[in-house]
Amino acid sequence: MSTPAAAASGAAPTTFDFPREYHFPPFFTRQTNVNTHRAQLEKWSSLVLAYCAHHKLYKLSLSASAASNNNNNNNDESPSGGAEDLFHNRKLNRRLSTADAREVLEFMRKEGRAEFVGGGDGSSSGREGGGGAVAWIYWKTPEEWAKEIESWVDETAQKGTVLTLYELTQGEDTRGSTFHGLDPDLLQKALQVLVKRGKAQIFGQEDSQGVKFF
Amino acid sequence: MSRKGVGLAAFDRSRLTSAQFASHGNSLRNTNAQALETQLSVFKSLLQQFAQTHAKDIRSNPSFRAQFARMCSAIGVDPLASSSSAGAGSSSVWAQLLGRSVNDFYFELAVRVVEVCGATRGENGGLIGVKELRERVMRGRMEGAPEVTEDDVLRAVGTLKPLGSSFSVVKVGNKPYIRSVPKELSTDQSAVLEAVQVLGYVSVSMLIVNLRWTRPRSQTVIEDLLGEGMLWVDKQAEEWEYWSPGFMMSAEGAGTG
Repeated sequence: MSTPAAAASGAAPTTFDFPREYHFPPFFTRQTNVNTHRAQLEKWSSLVLAYCAHHKLYKLSLSASAASNNNNNNNDESPSGGAEDLFHNRKLNRRLSTADAREVLEFMRKEGRAEFVGGGDGSSSGREGGGGAVAWIYWKTPEEWAKEIESWVDETAQKGTVLTLYELTQGEDTRGSTFHGLDPDLLQKALQVLVKRGKAQIFGQEDSQGVKFF
Repeated sequence: MSRKGVGLAAFDRSRLTSAQFASHGNSLRNTNAQALETQLSVFKSLLQQFAQTHAKDIRSNPSFRAQFARMCSAIGVDPLASSSSAGAGSSSVWAQLLGRSVNDFYFELAVRVVEVCGATRGENGGLIGVKELRERVMRGRMEGAPEVTEDDVLRAVGTLKPLGSSFSVVKVGNKPYIRSVPKELSTDQSAVLEAVQVLGYVSVSMLIVNLRWTRPRSQTVIEDLLGEGMLWVDKQAEEWEYWSPGFMMSAEGAGTG
């Protein structure tokens, strides 16, 4: 996405406090015991959510995060490493394999906390570019985003006015709101929730869309 | 009294005296019982007073609480006895006396202990160190809540006894653990868990060297413990390492250094 450079300076990324299990070497090996493995998945799931929420990452690319290349295409606001250190603990020299990371995302998908871009369940090799599946990480689900946008519109008395999508996430007015800087695709998803409920209507072309709230 | 009772009246008289003795005995017994009762009630009210005036201390001061519990056990009363069939009367008195102060403290703690054991069973297979358990309980508490000691945790687990044997304290090495699954540890398993305490992990070769076990024996025990969910495997080390989930707590300091 083409975020202006100014946005990046807005919130200086503070360092993320990794939970205790991140410093536990076996955490990066898929556990053989069923119950242990489930506990492991749950811990990974909450770690991924907390990590993405902290860095305001809306999408996670497995190839970018598991392999340690720097050019992740997720979000310009994130620190240059992106999600690089999420699945890779440099200090411990431990890494969650791509297959295991995919399993984590799949677990999160079943919990309604992730969704593979382009659909699918992640087990079939992603449609997008080879093995690197990209997934939405719902530290807030589209429904939750929709709710926040709705209450912001309500609070600022903008029902009935037309706002551009750009305005909603990049405009001066929404600076300070939780959805400022929201990924455009995710914004679409959230607005679709409102459209379905009859609370909003979307106009316009691809690149200059507007939305009206009721 | 030297006169022999020879007439018929003598029978009456002896009956009379025995009746008098009996009634006198009765009254003696009554006064005795009354005296005891007053003593008991005085004792009770004093205890009640003590418990009430010091309820706050008992709840908030761990060392005071331990002293109080020790005093109670010294005079032969268990402040935590709740439903033992033997002294139903007296124990209910205790529950009544200390109901809102001491008893509840341990029962509440016991509930938290059960919660933590249930929540962590997936990651530790139902065996959790008392120290770790205490830390988790403390983390879940509100600001300003009374401090909980390991001694309190052990006592709280004791209150769970009437519920069956599903919660118990086991000693591995010299560290107490709470076991929340009905499973006995074998000697070999205990030995491995004890070895794990040293570094946080063991490997097969460590067992072979330090415990002088054969490879199959070491592998079997480790497989068993993995199967129970009491160890986590790290396959990215040079030799596979088997970690105690308890070390997730202290890994920040130890693991990264």
